[in-house]
Amino acid sequence: MQLKAESMSVSPEFYIPGRSWLHDTDPRAKLLMLALTVMLLLMFQNLWVMLVAWFLILGVHRSAKVPRDRILFLLRALLPVTILMPIIWLIFYPAGEVILSFGFINIHGESLAIGLTVALRIQVMTFAIFALLFTTDTDTLMQGLVRLRMPYTWGLMLSLALRYVPNFVGSYTSIQQAQQARGLEYASARGLNRVREMMPVLVPMIIGSFRRSEQMAIALEARGFGAPGVQRTFLKAIRMRRLDWAFIALILVVTLGLITLNVLYEFGTDPLSLFP
Amino acid sequence: MTVVIQDLSYAYPDGDWALRELSLHVQPGEFLSIMGANGAGKSTLCLALNGIVPQATGGRIRGNVTINGLNTKEHSVATFSKQVGIVFQNPEAQLFSVNVEAEVAFGLENLGLPREEMQERIDWALKLLKIEPLRHRSPSQLSGGERQRLAIASVLAMTPPFLVLDEPSANLDSNGKRELLAALQDLKGTSGLTVIMAEHETELIAEFFDRVAVLDRGRLVRLEPPERLFADVSGMHALGLGVPQVSEVAACLNGEFGTDLSLTRYQEAHRNLKLVSDSN
Amino acid sequence: MTEIESRKLRFSYSENDDVLKSVSIQIDKGEFVALIGQNGSGKTTLAKHLIGLLRPNEGTVLIQGEDIRDQPVGEIARRVGYVFQNPDHQIFSATLREEISYGPQNLQIGKADIDLRTEQAMERFDLTGHAEQQPAMLSYGLRRKVALASIYAMDPQIWILDEPTGGLDWRSEQETMTLLHELNEAGKTIVLITHDMRIVAEHAERCIVMSKGRVVASDATRQIMEQDEALDILPPQVWRLGRALNLQRVPLTVEAFCREFGKHLAAESGVDVGLP
Repeated sequence: MQLKAESMSVSPEFYIPGRSWLHDTDPRAKLLMLALTVMLLLMFQNLWVMLVAWFLILGVHRSAKVPRDRILFLLRALLPVTILMPIIWLIFYPAGEVILSFGFINIHGESLAIGLTVALRIQVMTFAIFALLFTTDTDTLMQGLVRLRMPYTWGLMLSLALRYVPNFVGSYTSIQQAQQARGLEYASARGLNRVREMMPVLVPMIIGSFRRSEQMAIALEARGFGAPGVQRTFLKAIRMRRLDWAFIALILVVTLGLITLNVLYEFGTDPLSLFP
Repeated sequence: MTVVIQDLSYAYPDGDWALRELSLHVQPGEFLSIMGANGAGKSTLCLALNGIVPQATGGRIRGNVTINGLNTKEHSVATFSKQVGIVFQNPEAQLFSVNVEAEVAFGLENLGLPREEMQERIDWALKLLKIEPLRHRSPSQLSGGERQRLAIASVLAMTPPFLVLDEPSANLDSNGKRELLAALQDLKGTSGLTVIMAEHETELIAEFFDRVAVLDRGRLVRLEPPERLFADVSGMHALGLGVPQVSEVAACLNGEFGTDLSLTRYQEAHRNLKLVSDSN
Repeated sequence: MTEIESRKLRFSYSENDDVLKSVSIQIDKGEFVALIGQNGSGKTTLAKHLIGLLRPNEGTVLIQGEDIRDQPVGEIARRVGYVFQNPDHQIFSATLREEISYGPQNLQIGKADIDLRTEQAMERFDLTGHAEQQPAMLSYGLRRKVALASIYAMDPQIWILDEPTGGLDWRSEQETMTLLHELNEAGKTIVLITHDMRIVAEHAERCIVMSKGRVVASDATRQIMEQDEALDILPPQVWRLGRALNLQRVPLTVEAFCREFGKHLAAESGVDVGLP
């Protein structure tokens, strides 16, 4: 069995090393925050609430010292969706008064609000997820999930998968080059023909992944992975500080408050007015 | 405290016999090299030393491999991870952690060791392989030689008395090979460590190894110290294997001038040939 | 007649990090040149420029006198064969025969020609017996041969090989070098990227040494070996031995060592040992 090397690519971690209040927060608290944030976002339909949430989450990122270029990268990636949502709503679900008119095109106030709300919600959710990913390295995150009773094997699978994504993507380039050197060219741009043309690149990629997985599995076992009857320990064990408990208490209180307002007083359930 | 291989035969599922009636008794503290043509069974033999063959690979097995009295058919691979550490050719398939320290910690975490002990062993392993200054670096930032040393460190931290290396220099450039050699040199000084290494590089083998086991199509055909093995240049060539250049020089000179030289290492060759030319 | 030429190549993957700094080389038709340097020196990057897999930020590459700037890789591949280090980056076909005929198919020659070349390539590498087998399932040594055969079937004038003997046993190494010798005798230009200085000494007439993106030496093999310390290379044992023993003409091969040592003994003792 031959095990051949390829050049190792950069680790795919979204994690940005640094020290900030969010970096230091226990991953379990961050996971809870994320879960509650997603839940709350789905409960609220109001544009102004979403706008406030948007500013808040960006503030969280800045206070966690996330570099501007990363934030801009996410914003740019989300731009198509952000523009698309209002357009979809304006075209397919016109509602409310017309606030602007260009000949045939009528801009309905409520549709615009809903569309923008949806767009902002997607943005806030993305930023909330990345608030976790930017400030938590993979190992710590996995440990957090494991301490919350997720089986370690799942965590390892996930972190290995993440870690090998750039390798897999990188192998595409190497393989494509090797095949180009034998005359590979992409002529047809579409559909099944294109897939057939890409076989010389796809097949080695897939075979390569299988080979690597097999080698990896053997290497893991050889280092004691899956030892029966052993309680696995962690070098950098995470521990809840008083600050973490305080943080959790804070977000629980805020969440409960917002839920109460939403359910009892219909706060934020209407796209345009806060208290319908 | 030994590795005993008795009449071992092994075939991968839907494959032919990769190992045939192999018997070998590894001496404690020795540096044993395994040579053989591609496909002769070197890697398979390495994997048989910690139970991966047959437990993870399936197939058919006959005979026994006993590590310190434990049969590899009867105990989990994880049990053997404390006895036998394996380092593979391709660091890609072994190194996956965030940084050097975490990588070395992985095996220890699997064993459920307490933190203080883990930290001690990590520090010890990093120092032994001289990669202490790289503690917080990501493996992707390391050179080939450094990666192999990291792979060795992460396995040695589990303090196995046996270290198995499967063609560790195959993907290293000359600097990397030099670093690996130096690491092996340091390991030789470490008391009690038995090293088994599958390798093509005869000059590397001649330098550090006490005995060489030669495999040919799954069978053990030679088991000798390198001095004797490499002296038989034509025999090695017949097996499809090479010898250190100085051994070829000895054979050539013996043929031309009827001398009776046996050379396996560079320093030795320098000394002997100088004597020959001085005594003229 | 200059077969391969690069003029002041500059190449970088990203800003501020030139992998090639200003690389100019010249290789004549029929030469056997070794391209050496530590990992990261830029030798593979340079080699990939010679077949157009990479295009420089600045500078020119000429193959057989033509600027390849506007030629697609597929076209250059008809004259320049590039054998990659990892055979598993290429192997994708269901049968060995199909695999080897992939290259020739891209040469725009008739079917009869493609079949002929495939058969000849399989015969040359003793693979005919495996013609209907899955190449991915063959042993490593055979997969390496498949990679060589695939390029052989395209019959390029120029061969570039990236570490063709890495991980191979002695016999396979000898067979590979015999092939290269044969090709060179037939007038092909060989560019060999390798770490193995023994092979370099035995087969390459000239070496181009790279370090940190620059060519630091380009000279006959003998001259390169003489500068071993400055160039950070380790000459083969016979060379170092010959030099340490003060042989008159430091040998590059075992046979040469034998001869020179004999002469040395004769010279020292004043006895005619009857050597050629």
